Amino acid sequence: MGYAQKRLASTAAKLASVSPSHVRVFPPKEAVASSSSSSQKHFFDAQTWASLQPPPPTSFTAFAHRIGLGNILTSIVDIQRACTHPSFVPLYSHHYPDKPLPATNANLAVLGNSLLGLFATEYVNASYPHLPTRVMKAAVSAYVGPTTCVGIAKEMGVTPLLRWNRTPTTPTSPAVLHPDALSSVPRALTALVYQHRSLLSARKFVHKFFLSREVDVRNMIKFRDPKAALAETVAKFGRERPISRLLKETGRFSNSPVFVVGIYSGADKLGEGFGTSLKMAEYRAAEDSLHRLYLIRQPSHLVQLPTSTFAGGRGNVFEANGTEGKYLAGEMGDSEVLYGSAGRTGQRNPGRRSQAIEEEDLEVVL
Amino acid sequence: MAYRVPSTTKPLLRAQLTSRPANGHLAFIPQIRKLVFEFCDKWPSSANTRTYIHDHLEELARTNPHVEIVIRQRNQREPIARGFYLNGRDKVIPLNGFEITGIQKKVQLLLDASGAKIKPLKRRTVESTTEAARGIWSGLHVDEPFKI
Repeated sequence: MGYAQKRLASTAAKLASVSPSHVRVFPPKEAVASSSSSSQKHFFDAQTWASLQPPPPTSFTAFAHRIGLGNILTSIVDIQRACTHPSFVPLYSHHYPDKPLPATNANLAVLGNSLLGLFATEYVNASYPHLPTRVMKAAVSAYVGPTTCVGIAKEMGVTPLLRWNRTPTTPTSPAVLHPDALSSVPRALTALVYQHRSLLSARKFVHKFFLSREVDVRNMIKFRDPKAALAETVAKFGRERPISRLLKETGRFSNSPVFVVGIYSGADKLGEGFGTSLKMAEYRAAEDSLHRLYLIRQPSHLVQLPTSTFAGGRGNVFEANGTEGKYLAGEMGDSEVLYGSAGRTGQRNPGRRSQAIEEEDLEVVL
Repeated sequence: MAYRVPSTTKPLLRAQLTSRPANGHLAFIPQIRKLVFEFCDKWPSSANTRTYIHDHLEELARTNPHVEIVIRQRNQREPIARGFYLNGRDKVIPLNGFEITGIQKKVQLLLDASGAKIKPLKRRTVESTTEAARGIWSGLHVDEPFKI
């Protein structure tokens, strides 16, 4: 499909479409010009009228069943609330001043956002215990951030159900665009699952839809000088300084050489890298060593999440009954190397935990 | 002018903070959202469709709650089943000439489809009179068979 066709399809998806069988009065009174009220200067815009009509109730129930929440979201009112962005309210009240204001997902989206952050952070931290802090934050953004929420909303089929209004930037509020409105819906759904069931059910929902997606964490760990970074990291752990050794080579002085370099700390090989030049191979070997440290991953069946300690009964965390779940905290290791801090990492002895475990003197650790 | 030391790590830009979908890995979102049956009340080509709608449609709607089912009038034309999918496309299947079981199969086809355009994989197949020089690879006849 060409660019023009794709653009047309996405524009058509954003436009509202109304099924006449679900509208009470069709054609609407405002559309028909009546001679008695010829003094009225109303201009009828079909697109605006269509965007003000609610989608048919059948589409809401079908949506709830599609995402597996058919038994949880039994009321159409809740689903409709989750799919209504606050930007819609001024438009609605302007055209229908006598009708009650529609319920919006503002509060639900905020609650859902907090829950998403909680579940994603504990999952990323438990799965990758040695990840640097800024990479962990980036991974959390990748798992539950605005771009992902937009993608999930589109894949669930929220676009025809969403009620919103495009708002330009004002001095008091930022602009509201289609991605902003779309991303509020999955957050609102998470909050609804928490409200109707429990925190653990909300966690299951988040794991199913958000944390099952593919995130490339490896690409987020990039150093300008991996050799220097590795040297500092190795010093922090109290090991011998890294030495690079050529393991294999072929085609030197030809137009396609291949060098395989390994970086060793004493007798332990930390990482291996290939390249068409010795420098590039050494660079990749240093990167590989850092990846092998920072991307250590806990297998998914052994991941321990702190929220398991909440009771599994229905209701919010303050009211739920039931016994606490089991949670086994991971062993504390050395914290990450802080670069550019002039050697003042804030610890008395850098690498003391690793050294203490070597000497089997656990009192030093405590 | 002060010299700014470049940071040790490369910056993470906003476009990088995304994830790719994995439909089916944990949760499966069925791709069909609406099924529309259009038929004529009078013409005999729609007779089987009318019988199907009368006898089997309610059960279909109950077993597939994720699909909206719509019935429309389509006078003096052949009966049609139209499926609308989440990728914005639709699939249209004419239902004339089928018996009830045939209509059930076509409806099941629509329910199972993803809405993606059907890409023909017709290529010229390799036909050779000589056998393969290095033999045909078999996953079962290796030193270490692949473990899922």
